[in-house]
This record gives sequence, C-alpha cells and structure tokens, in this order.
Amino acid sequence: MSFWPKSVKARRRLTIFLIAAPVFIAAVALSLYALKGTVVYFYTPAQWIEAKVPVGKTVRLGGLVKPGSVVKTPDGVTRFTVQDKLKEISVVYKGELPDLFREGQGVVCEGEVTGVTALKAVQVLAKHDEKYIPKNVQKELEKQGEWRPGAGMDKPKPVQRPFQ
Amino acid sequence: MINFLANPERFTRVTRPLRPWLAGVTALLFVWGLYLCFASPEDYQQGDTVRIMYVHVPAAWMGLTVYAAMGIASFFGLIFRHALADVAAKAMAPIGAVFTGLALLTGALWGMPMWGTPWQWDGRMTSELILFLFYIGYIALHASIEDEVRAAKSTAILALVGLVNLPIVHFSVQWWNSLHQGDSIFVKGGPTVAPDMLWPLFVMVAAYHALFAWLFLVRLDSEILARKYRALRARLSFN
Amino acid sequence: MIRPALTLLKRDLGLSLTKGGGPLLAVGFYLTLMAMIPLSLGPDQAVLSRIAAGLTWLCLALSSLLSLERLFERDYEDAVFDTLRLGPLPLELIALLKCLSQWFGTGVILSLMTPIVMIILGAPVSLALMGLVSAFLGSLSFALIGGIGASLALGSRKGGVLMALLVLPFYVPPVIFGAGLMQAVQTSASPLQALAFLAAYALFALALGPIAMGAALRGALS
Repeated sequence: MSFWPKSVKARRRLTIFLIAAPVFIAAVALSLYALKGTVVYFYTPAQWIEAKVPVGKTVRLGGLVKPGSVVKTPDGVTRFTVQDKLKEISVVYKGELPDLFREGQGVVCEGEVTGVTALKAVQVLAKHDEKYIPKNVQKELEKQGEWRPGAGMDKPKPVQRPFQ
Repeated sequence: MINFLANPERFTRVTRPLRPWLAGVTALLFVWGLYLCFASPEDYQQGDTVRIMYVHVPAAWMGLTVYAAMGIASFFGLIFRHALADVAAKAMAPIGAVFTGLALLTGALWGMPMWGTPWQWDGRMTSELILFLFYIGYIALHASIEDEVRAAKSTAILALVGLVNLPIVHFSVQWWNSLHQGDSIFVKGGPTVAPDMLWPLFVMVAAYHALFAWLFLVRLDSEILARKYRALRARLSFN
Repeated sequence: MIRPALTLLKRDLGLSLTKGGGPLLAVGFYLTLMAMIPLSLGPDQAVLSRIAAGLTWLCLALSSLLSLERLFERDYEDAVFDTLRLGPLPLELIALLKCLSQWFGTGVILSLMTPIVMIILGAPVSLALMGLVSAFLGSLSFALIGGIGASLALGSRKGGVLMALLVLPFYVPPVIFGAGLMQAVQTSASPLQALAFLAAYALFALALGPIAMGAALRGALS
C-alpha cells in the first residue's frame, strides 16, 4: 500500500485517525438525527395539542397573546389566550405581568396543565421578537396605516420545526 | 508577517508604539458610541431599556470571538510549538471571561423588566453560562500548573475541546424554542433592527474590538516581560 | 498489539475493582447523596417523584467524578507510564483502556444501581429500564470526559477541585438529555430523541476523548 506512511509515528497517527473517524461520523449522524426533533424549552399550542400534555403536569407554553383575549379582573387575575397559527390555549394567571406583555406579544407561560387546552400559569414571561424599531417610526407607520403589529411573528419561522 | 512577529522581542518593539494610539481610538469610539446610545431613539416596545442592547450584544459577540481566537492561538501553539501563540491564548482568556460575564450580567438586567425574569435555563443562556465556566476553567488550569510549557499544552487542549460549545451558543436560538430572541443582524433579508439603532450598535462593536485589541497588547507585553523576568531570575539563582 | 492491550486491560480492571476499596467508595458516595435528598427536601412524595429522575442523574454525575482524580495519577507517579510508553501501545489506546476500566469499575456498577435509586427516591417503576440504559450511556461519557479532565490536571497542584471545575461543564449535556429522557418516558413521549443525543454524546467522547487524552498525557510525560 503506497499511501501507508513509512515512519512508525505517522503510521500510528493515521491508524488512530482511521479508527476515530467512523466513530466521529456516527456521532455526527446520530446527533443530526436527534436534532430533527426539537428539545422543547416550551411547547407551542400546536405542539401542546400534538404532545397530549397530561393534566397536572408542569409545562411551559409559548406563543402569541391573542388580540382581544386579555381580560383583567380586579383581584389581579389575568385571563388570556395564547395562540400560534394553528391552535389556541387559554391561560389564567395571577400576579405581576412583565413590561412587554401586551396583545399580539410573544409570551412564555409556565404553570400547571388544568385541561386539554388550559394552563394555570405561575409565571408569565414576555418573549421579545427580533425587531428593534424606534418609537416615532412606529407611530409614523401607524398613522399611515402601514403598521401591522407582530408583523414579524406571523410569518413562519424557518427554525420552528414541529414536535416529533 | 506572522513569522516576522513570532519573535517576542520584535513583537513588543513593533506593537509598543501602537498602544497609545489604540487606547486613544478606544476612548474615542466609546465616547462616540455611548453618546449615540443615549441619542438613539427609544424602541417602540422596550422604551429606554433597549439601550442595554448596545452594551450586551457586542459583549456577547466578543465573548464568542475571543474564545474562537483563543482556540486558533491554542491550535497554533499546540501544533507548531509557537511560543507567542501560547502567550496570546493565555493573555486573551481573562478578557474574554469579562466580556462573557458582562453579557450575562447585562442580559439579566435587560431580562428583568422585559421578560419578567433575569434568568431562565433556556438554550442560549445555559450555553453562554457554560462558555463562561470554560473561561474560568481555562484560567484555573493555567494557574495551577507551574511549568509554563506544560501549562500551555494542557490549556490548549482544553481550549480546543471547549470549541464545541461555540456553535451551540450561536445556534441555540435556532435549534431550540428559546426565550432569548433570535438573531437580528445577520439574517436573511437584512437586519431587523432599524438603521437609527444599528448605527450605535456598530460603533459600540468597533469600540469593543478596539478595547480588546488594546487590552490584549498590554497583557501580552506584560506576560512576555514576566516570562523574561522569571527566566532571568532562574539564571541568576544558578550562578 | 491485542495481547498487550488485553494484559493492560486486565491489570487496570483488577486495580479499579480491588484497589483502595474499589467501587465501594463511589457506591457509598452515591447512596449517601441519595439519602440526603429526601432528608434535605422533606419527605413530600409528590415533590420527590417529580424530581427523582433528574436528581439521580445529578448524583450519578457527581459520583462518577469521585475516583477520577487517581485515574492516571497513580501510574504517573510510579513511572508506570514511562514503561508503557516504551511498549507497543499508543498512548491514546492506553488512555482509552484506562477509561474503560474506570467505567467498568464505577460507571457500570453505579448504572446498575441507578434504577433502584430512582425508585427509592419515588420515581415510577416504569422508568427502571430506560433509567438503566441511559445511565450506561451517560456514565460512559462521564468516564471518558472525566479522563480528559484527569489527564489535563495531571501534575497540577490542586488536582481534585480543578478537575471538577474542568469536567462538570462537559457533564451538563448528558445530565440534560438523561433527565429529559426520563421526563419523556414519564409523559409517554418518544424517548428516541433524547436517547439518540445521549448515544451521540458518548460516541463523540469515544472518538475525541482518547485523542485529547493522548495529547495531554504526552504533554505531561515530556
């Protein structure tokens, strides 16, 4: 074999490489396979329905606050609906809401599953989108009727793969 | 060029006159950048809190960049036995650690009002914390091995192994559902940051780079001096 | 090359199974940690059963760390490595064999106990099989990555603590995926993904670990 190096050291190095390479390739292949499903930090409503999250379990739910669904009662309880493009989940939460919380905003709610499409949240976090727009520009756009709240959020993100 | 500068003696001779200039450029960029930070408009959602972004994003980028540079320097040190590469990697580590710590800290400060929590164990934050731990581990390992040559070898291997974390930090917001927002600068279809806000960010990024370059040269020089001093002392104690 | 490798494996296995109490130390540590969990959290079964699987993984990671410090150090101090280096085996293979002996001596035994520990802590019995399989994979990664840490810390002044600092960040992914796997089984979701991650991580460690250890050992021996 002509490609086989002459020096002992180089031969040893090549052997080690030849043994390690297939193991490494197998590892890469396996992790690519594993990455096909997402590791869920939160469920989107559609993933939630598909995963059949059992009642009583503590989970995180992420999605957009459905416009017009937020109802605040005087005792500090907030009810709202979290939606994605396909499904909706209703959320009940008692406590302080973050600054960014508003209708159309992306949120992550953590709490106990109380029904097939119901969550009793103990924590509500606002998820910021990727857009940074000056306030006056946004007002200007609004005046011209060009502004679509959450415009960035309803185009499907290429990275949001469905849950297995 | 690299070979020319590989000689520590020559390296210090070339870079020492550069240092005051670099310090001046750093100061100017920071003054300009910080002015722009406060002169830039409020965000339509975040209000004034958006200004934290101008400190946070460059710090996080630098944390990654410095680690990558450390990995490259370690590689050259390990494979080509480059004396200056070892010193360079060692000199970079604490600077990178501070940038990463700053990114974590400012992220928490931003998260408290915006997300409603300073910390969540999502992919981006966890992997960034691990990056910080790598820096700490690297510094600790270097400090605990007395023999410089061996310390350089061991830490270089650690730095190379730690490189696997870099893509995880970068892609964490794409791979997993995360609380952290996705990339908004280098994305298809151009940045999703308004130009008025992009400018201060880029000036700050330039300022951070200049700061790094300056600190790096200072640390490199003092490390070379420290080694020279140790070598001299060792020689004196023999005579 | 096969015969010297087998001889070395036999010697190291014997050492890791008998010397200094063998696996007893790690096992004792594992059980003590386990016992401290309900004592520190209070005996609330509902809380315990929810966190049992995750805590078991944490205990497994910490117990795997315990005996790593001596993995290369003994042979390094006794100059056994210098002798081994003259032989036909490459340092990479020597390091791999030592890690595998370490794994058999502690990891495998701890893995065998893992389902029991989980169930005692209050995890449902249905987790037992997956707990066992995942613990095998996880502890293999722990042993190999621990080997990298041990070879890097070789000859440094604060070996033990330093090693924990170097190695624990690398233990994070198996802990995440292992605990995630347990959760997937508990919620009857598909465990395949987490299992694939665990296996992939072990394979990565298997492919790259010996190369890193070889380089580090060569550095320490020169």
